[in-house]
Amino acid sequence: MFYSARFWGGLRGVINLLLAVYMLAPLVVILIISFSSALFLSFPPPGFSLQYYEKMFSNPTWTRTLWTSVKIMVPSAVIATVLGTAAALALSRMESRWAVLIRGLLMAPLIIPVIITAAAIFGVFRIWGLYGTLPGLILAHVILTLPYVMSTVSANLAVFDKRLEDAAANCGAPPFTAFRRVTLPLISPAVLSGMLFAMVISFDELIVSLFLSTPTIRPVTVQMWSNIRGDTDPTIAAIATVLFLFSLFALLIDGLARRKSGRAPGL
Amino acid sequence: MTKHTKPTGLNRRTILKTSLYATASFAALGAGTRSASAAIDLSGKQMVFASWGGSYQAAQETAYCNPFMEATGATVIQDGPMNGSKLRTMVEAGEPIWDVVDVTDTFLFANEDLFEDLDYNVVDASPLDQTYVHPKGIGCIIWSYNIAFNTDVVGENTPQSWADVFDVEKFPGKRALRDRAYPMMEIALMADGVAPEDLYPLDLDRAFAKLDTIKDHVIWYTSNSAAQQLFVDGEVGVGLLLNGRVFDVNKKGAPVDLTWNQNIRSIDYLVIPKGAPNTEVAQHFMNATVDADNQALMANTIAYAPCNPAAFDMIEEDVLPWLATTQENADKGLLIDPAYWRDNLAEATERWTEWKLT
Amino acid sequence: MIAKLRSIWLVLPAVLLIGICFIYPVAWLLQRSVSEPVWGLQNYAEIFTKSIYLGVLWNTVTIAGVTTLLCALFGFPVAYSMVHSRPWLRKLLIFVVLIPFWTSILVRSFAWLVILQGGGIINDFLTGVGLIAEPLELVYNRLGVLLGMVQVLLPFMVFPLYSVMARIDGSYVKAATNLGANPIRAFFRIYLPLCLPGLLTGAMLVFIISLGYFITPALLGGRGDIMIAQLIFERIDEFGDWALASALAIVLLVGTALLFGFVSLLLKLRGKGV
Repeated sequence: MFYSARFWGGLRGVINLLLAVYMLAPLVVILIISFSSALFLSFPPPGFSLQYYEKMFSNPTWTRTLWTSVKIMVPSAVIATVLGTAAALALSRMESRWAVLIRGLLMAPLIIPVIITAAAIFGVFRIWGLYGTLPGLILAHVILTLPYVMSTVSANLAVFDKRLEDAAANCGAPPFTAFRRVTLPLISPAVLSGMLFAMVISFDELIVSLFLSTPTIRPVTVQMWSNIRGDTDPTIAAIATVLFLFSLFALLIDGLARRKSGRAPGL
Repeated sequence: MTKHTKPTGLNRRTILKTSLYATASFAALGAGTRSASAAIDLSGKQMVFASWGGSYQAAQETAYCNPFMEATGATVIQDGPMNGSKLRTMVEAGEPIWDVVDVTDTFLFANEDLFEDLDYNVVDASPLDQTYVHPKGIGCIIWSYNIAFNTDVVGENTPQSWADVFDVEKFPGKRALRDRAYPMMEIALMADGVAPEDLYPLDLDRAFAKLDTIKDHVIWYTSNSAAQQLFVDGEVGVGLLLNGRVFDVNKKGAPVDLTWNQNIRSIDYLVIPKGAPNTEVAQHFMNATVDADNQALMANTIAYAPCNPAAFDMIEEDVLPWLATTQENADKGLLIDPAYWRDNLAEATERWTEWKLT
Repeated sequence: MIAKLRSIWLVLPAVLLIGICFIYPVAWLLQRSVSEPVWGLQNYAEIFTKSIYLGVLWNTVTIAGVTTLLCALFGFPVAYSMVHSRPWLRKLLIFVVLIPFWTSILVRSFAWLVILQGGGIINDFLTGVGLIAEPLELVYNRLGVLLGMVQVLLPFMVFPLYSVMARIDGSYVKAATNLGANPIRAFFRIYLPLCLPGLLTGAMLVFIISLGYFITPALLGGRGDIMIAQLIFERIDEFGDWALASALAIVLLVGTALLFGFVSLLLKLRGKGV
């Protein structure tokens, strides 16, 4: 039986199916529940309704926290993108000894468990008066998202031929012009990718925000967290769907940009 | 302080002989609807209100926060769930993020040092039953801990006493109980046969010994909303739930009901944590909760009885039997003793935590 | 030289930011762990002697270990199936495995709650068809934590395995079987050792990430499944107990770093053919 191709093919099919169910089931369930007409969390829902979407957009707590998330996400993603891209460019030209050290330093927030980062930042930011403020949250999110931008751009720079820029410089182009005309267009899909990544990470971030936010400045994930722990309000499913659509949208833009630039989608 | 320990229902009962503590006579005095807060403009200002989450806090939003925001222009931000040790931590760190907090009488009496003195020139507490006016807080609702059950799970044989709830033969499967020393000590002692009038001072050793007998058959909850879901799903057949929380799911069609036998009444107070950032708005907010209309709205939404007697008049007929304050229901239960807990909460909590971990 | 200087200016803002807002706070945390309430190692002594904290450390290590094992057991066939699928199916599988990266852990933990609860989908179904009378306890316990964590961490196991398997030349195994080795022997003697670097990288990633896990165990676990990250959060958020929380954080940090270093070394040695 071991030698039967049909047996192995069948087994693979089972594994693939199992994988799909296991990975996708939670998403599908959330999607269905968000359109439920029941007053409780129940499955399958007795009927279809948009009540939880209505609730989400009419309840000031959800609209305010969603808006706060946006107010944290946009500036932090922009700052992380600028700093991360600059760092990646610089590191691609540095001596490898220093580059390794600096890269390790900048990647540290990605490697160290987030709970440690959260506790440490909370302790110090409270002393500095940044606890419960928008700048504090933005700064913290920059720390968390910068490594993602940097590694995305770095990966792209590794395959990018630096001689192109050198050639431009040799032809007399000032460094900035060479950068703007030659390097930037080549790496811009990766920069965009990095920024989208940063936005998604920031929008989904919970742990650091949990420490740093107060009821007045609170991103939507923190609100969801306290609701899930206290309630089983199906409104959460509607918000979760919105969050997922946002990620999907970012993924789509990323894919389009890559296709346009003729690059294969990365993993 | 002794006046708080007296079951206040008793004297009223003998005087009024009605099914309610308070009757139309109070309302006739005109203490009822006021709108003092309407005169004050607080637009652009905000405060944070922390309570117990779920349907209760939603009701408070409807009954207290929305009318207040409409009248004054201030913004009330919701937070929670209330957590005693978290509250203590933020006050001790000098940075409370909550302006008005809903606490049980038990917690208030045991932690008076955590709260601001109220300015009763701003908070007009005169319409309230004066039993529920404390230098640091005003009563908002009267409610009760009840024996609750899912009728689909238990069928005809519903639990009639805490002894039933503790009987794992009669009611197999898990039961839902509160993860907190109060009212679990009272409940365990009643389950062990102690008469309600002999409860205080509590025999903690006996209570823990009784709890040992069901330790493995319990889902301990810390959130009343989570507890509601446990009952709605039938994940537990019997257990402890607050009367308003039972009313809430029952009204929405869930097969969940309660018995008034051996219920334990308690009062929730609104307080201001020491050092809160918006004490002025906070006190105006508290003033608005005193309003009889608002308190009646609260009762009609979640069946928690008002502390402003004038509000009883406006409570709907079908909500009345769900109130912890009706004569019939009060007779079957007792009032929790905050004076006892003031002296013993810290010790009992420590023992409780230790017992949970072993 | 000028270009080099310019490079320094480019990287300086990021370095300063990480230095001031990340490295300094972590150092501050380390300092608090040995200075609160007095200078000394008493907080560490407490963690490693009191049964409550030892219990949480034990929870953390065992949950991370079992999660890693489960990820490997499930991830291995998944990666294998991916490598040997037709291109369109492979793309689809990659997308499915990557879904967790694009949905927040919070959302997925909530979904698991809905699926696993006493009145949840699985129990409703099983009681509905009469397979069970009482709802099974699938959540608020170890099982719930593991189901949730494996789903989140599976990609970290699958992709390292995938990239190794994709490079393995199928002819080795074929040659072995042609030479008369039975397929099971061929798998264990030839194929598995070739996959080992991927398996090791995946296991390290999953284990290290599991150690610091917070949201999933907090939402899907019971009181008996508290992991170190949740304890750190509760100590700070609820009790303002920085002494213990900071010491716990440093224990987690050192544990993570040691593991990271150890496995990197192992991989490097293997890479050199030692």
